[in-house]
Amino acid sequence: MAKGSPAAEAATPPRKGTFDQEKYLRFYEQMVHIREFEEICEPAFRAGNHGIGGYLHLYSGEEAIAVGIIGAMDLPKGDCFIGHYRDHAYALAAGSDPGQVMAEICGKATGCSKGKGGSMHICDAERGFYGGYGIVGGNVPIALGLGWSIKYRGGDQVCACFFGDGSMNQGGFHEALNMAQLYKVPVLFVLENNGYAMGTSIERSHANTDLASRVESYNMKHDTIDGQNIFTVHERVQEIIAGMRKDPHPFFLECKTYRYHGHGAADTQVTQATYRTKEEIEKWRTQRDPILIAEKILMEAGALSQADRDRIHAEAKDAAKAALKFADDSPNPSPDELLKDVYA
Amino acid sequence: MAKIRYTDALTLALQEEMDRDESVFIIGEEVGQYLGTLQVTKGFLEKYGKNRVVDTPISEVGIIGTGIGAAMAGLRPVCEMMRMDFALPAYDQIAQHAAKIRYMFGGQFKVPMVIRGPSGVVNQLSAQHSQALEALFCHCPGLKVVVPATPADAKGLLKSAIRDDNPVVVLEALKIQFQKVDWWEEIQEGLSEVPDDPDFYPELGKAKVLREGTDVTLVGYSTMTTTNLRAAKLLEKDGISAEVVDLRTLLPLDMATPLASIKKTHRAVVVQEQWGLYGCAAEISAQIAERAFYDLDAPVQRVTGAFVPMPYSRALETLAYPNENDVVAAAKRTLYGK
Repeated sequence: MAKGSPAAEAATPPRKGTFDQEKYLRFYEQMVHIREFEEICEPAFRAGNHGIGGYLHLYSGEEAIAVGIIGAMDLPKGDCFIGHYRDHAYALAAGSDPGQVMAEICGKATGCSKGKGGSMHICDAERGFYGGYGIVGGNVPIALGLGWSIKYRGGDQVCACFFGDGSMNQGGFHEALNMAQLYKVPVLFVLENNGYAMGTSIERSHANTDLASRVESYNMKHDTIDGQNIFTVHERVQEIIAGMRKDPHPFFLECKTYRYHGHGAADTQVTQATYRTKEEIEKWRTQRDPILIAEKILMEAGALSQADRDRIHAEAKDAAKAALKFADDSPNPSPDELLKDVYA
Repeated sequence: MAKIRYTDALTLALQEEMDRDESVFIIGEEVGQYLGTLQVTKGFLEKYGKNRVVDTPISEVGIIGTGIGAAMAGLRPVCEMMRMDFALPAYDQIAQHAAKIRYMFGGQFKVPMVIRGPSGVVNQLSAQHSQALEALFCHCPGLKVVVPATPADAKGLLKSAIRDDNPVVVLEALKIQFQKVDWWEEIQEGLSEVPDDPDFYPELGKAKVLREGTDVTLVGYSTMTTTNLRAAKLLEKDGISAEVVDLRTLLPLDMATPLASIKKTHRAVVVQEQWGLYGCAAEISAQIAERAFYDLDAPVQRVTGAFVPMPYSRALETLAYPNENDVVAAAKRTLYGK
C-alpha cells in the first residue's frame, strides 16, 4: 500500500484463485445491510421525529473493515472487540439485532443500552462487543485490559480494537501500545484510516504521515492494507489472528478507507467543504466502494447474479425500515430508569 | 484483635484478598521488584508472581485502562497510583470511562476495580504532591470513594472495595500511614486495633461515631478524623463534650449518622483537609442545613485548607491546612464562646 493518506486512485487487483463463495456472499450481504441501515439513519435524523438527537456518526464506505475483521473472530469461543463512536456496524457485523441497535439510536427502552447510551454507546456483551466510546482514543487503553484478561487466564482468544487516525495523536494511545507490546497481549489494533480526524487531514495532524510506521518505535508487528476490499481485509486478518493465537502478541493493522458522510450529523455539506471536495467523495463512492468491489469479484466468479444482487439490496432496505419501525413502535424508557444502572 | 499500623493494615487487606480470590491482581508503578514505593506490596512479587503483581511503565492512562478492560472481562484489578496526584493524567479513564460504563451501556457491564494510593497533605511535598483530591472523584456518579481514617478501616474498607462490583477509589491517608501503634493509642485507646477475621469487610457507606459527646458534632474523614479526635480531647479540658463522626466513605455518603448526632448536640463542625470552595465539606454542610436546620442552635462551621497550591516552606505550609486548634476554635464558635 502507498504510504500517507488513503488514495481513491489505488487500484483493486483482480482476485486470483478460489474462495469460500458462501462466506463471502454472507459478508457481501452484511455489508449491504449495514449500508442500508446507516443510510436510513441519516434522513431519520434530519426528519427529527424518531428520537434521534445528539451525534450520529455513520460508517458508510468503511463496511469491509468491520465485516471482514469481526467475521474472522470466534465470538462464541471468547474473542472480543471494542470500538469507538462510529459503532453501529460493529454490532451489526457481530449479529446483534438491528432493531435493538436502531432502538438505541432512537433512545428507546428496547435499545441495546436501554436508551441510556445512544448512537455512540452501542454494545452487545453476549457477542463480545465491549461497546462504542465517545472519547477519541479512550477505548484503546481499555482494549489493553481486555487483552490482559486473556493473557491472565492463559487463553488463546484475541481482542480487536477499532479506532481512527485521530486516536493516534492521543497520549493514552501510546501508553497502551507500549504496554501491549511490553506484555505481549493479544490485541489486534485496527486503524481505520479514513484520512480525516473530523475536518483535519492526516497531513495537517501527523508529523509522520506513514501512520503504521509510528508503531515501529514499540517494536510492534504491523501491516497496511486496502480496507475497501473485503477479501484483502478478511484473508489478512485470518492470518494475523492465527499467529496471535499460536504465540500471543499485539498487532497493528492499518486499513486505508474513506467515510462518505460527514464526521457526524453536525458536519454538513457546508462544513465538509472546508476540508474536502465533492469530487473526492464521488471518486471514492464510484471507484473504491467496498460493496461495489465485492460485487464485481463475486459476479466475475459466478457467485452472485444480478437478480441475487437486486434481491439482497431490496431485503436490506426492508430490514433497515423494519428496524426503524421497531424503534418507532418501542416505548421510551420509563422515568424510574433514570437512576438505575449507575451502580452494580 | 491485633494492634497494627495503618500501612500494615493495607498490606494485610491486599494479601488476604489475593489469597482468597485468584481474579484479584495488582498493577502499578514499582509495585513488584521495587517492593512498592511505600512497601505496601513488599514480598508480593515473590509470593504471587508477575502475572498478579504487575510492574508498569510510568503510564497512568495505561494502568487504569488495563484495570477497566480487565474488570469488564471479569477480573478484579487493584490499580495502584504511586500517589493519587498521579491519577490526574488518567482522570479521563476514571471519570469518563470507569465511572460511566455501567450506565451508558444500560447495565450490560460491571467494572469491579479499585484505584488506590496515598493521598492528602504531607510534610513539605509542596504543590504537586501534597493535596487531597477526593472532591474530583466525588463528582462522578458511578464511582465509590473510600477515605479510611483508622488501621481497622484501612484493612476492612480496602477489602470491601476489592469485593465491590463497582469502580472504587480508595484514598489512603499518607500523613498517618506510618504512625506507630503508640501514636494511635495515645489519641484514643483501641484506635489501632484491627479485627483478625479475614471476612471483616464493612459495608461501604456507613459512617461511625468514634467518640461520643453531647455539645458539638465534629464531622470528618481520613487524616482529619484523627485531628478531630485530638480536638475533642482539647475541648474536653475546657468542659466541652464533642462527638466525633468519621464518615469513612464519601460515595456513597451516609448522612444519617452525622444527622442523628447533630439532633443530639445541635451543633456541627465539618472538617476537611483542603480547599473549602466547592469541597466535600460544602456538600455535607449544605445537607445539614437542608435536613437539620431546625435542630441547629448555631450555623454550621467549616474548617478547611487555604485556597492556595500547597506551599513548600514549613512556615507557610502549616498555615495552609487545618489542625486541631482550628477545629477547637470552630467548635467554640458554635457555642458562642461558652
